[in-house]
Amino acid sequence: MVLAAVGEGRIQGGWEYVRAAYGIAWTGMTLYAISLWVRWPRGERQ
Amino acid sequence: MLTVAMLALGAWLALVKAPPEREMGDVYRIMYAHVPLVQMALLAATINCACSVVYLIRASWRTDSLAEASAEVGLVFAVLGTALGSIFGRPTWGVYWAWDPRLTSMAIFIVAYAGYLALRRFVDDPEKRAVWSAVAGIVIAVDVPIVYFSVRWWKSLHQVQSSTKTVDPAIYWPLRANILAYFLLFIVFLGIRYAIAHAARRRETTVPEPAGSLSRAVAS
Repeated sequence: MVLAAVGEGRIQGGWEYVRAAYGIAWTGMTLYAISLWVRWPRGERQ
Repeated sequence: MLTVAMLALGAWLALVKAPPEREMGDVYRIMYAHVPLVQMALLAATINCACSVVYLIRASWRTDSLAEASAEVGLVFAVLGTALGSIFGRPTWGVYWAWDPRLTSMAIFIVAYAGYLALRRFVDDPEKRAVWSAVAGIVIAVDVPIVYFSVRWWKSLHQVQSSTKTVDPAIYWPLRANILAYFLLFIVFLGIRYAIAHAARRRETTVPEPAGSLSRAVAS
């Protein structure tokens, strides 16, 4: 039976890891979006 | 706006709506950002490889610009996806990093695309840069299937790819929504970065080449 191969118990808590992960992801994407905005070729024909 | 709305919806589904996982509890919610980020990185590498091949067959500043854009956007997604995977690994594996096949091939992916972008910066001649980076893009794309299949080819701490048969709908529908949201973000980033790269090509090559002339120039 497949379930027999699965361990018992569950990781408790761990929201600090979730917050850190989403914080890094959103901060990283925001900084990259800002870098694109800064580099945008203003005044040039696209 | 659609992209921001989809990202917000995806975050709400991931952090609020989706139920805790049977063994990993709430920690698994990192997966809703980790998986789409790495998937988009692999998609970017595939686009880069396709552009590289097309450039060598029929040279065009548009494919060269798209290759540059896909490499940079893919690298950003790969770094963030790997960082999230590392954080995910600490409570589930007990370590932030292990030199297992998936993580090692992903580290090679990051170093390779960083090198690709460095190569593009070091070569001033736009035609030489385009040809050399196209060759490099094809060579380093070999790592893409290795990253994807590493969990099947070798024993790995990292789990194999899940499917709708192995994951509860309450978990995979939020994942699909997040994949769509990150895909939209990827397209936005890629489009803007492409415009930046193409404007730079126009500045470097003051006169736009007629169709086919670059192919002849590269061939000669």
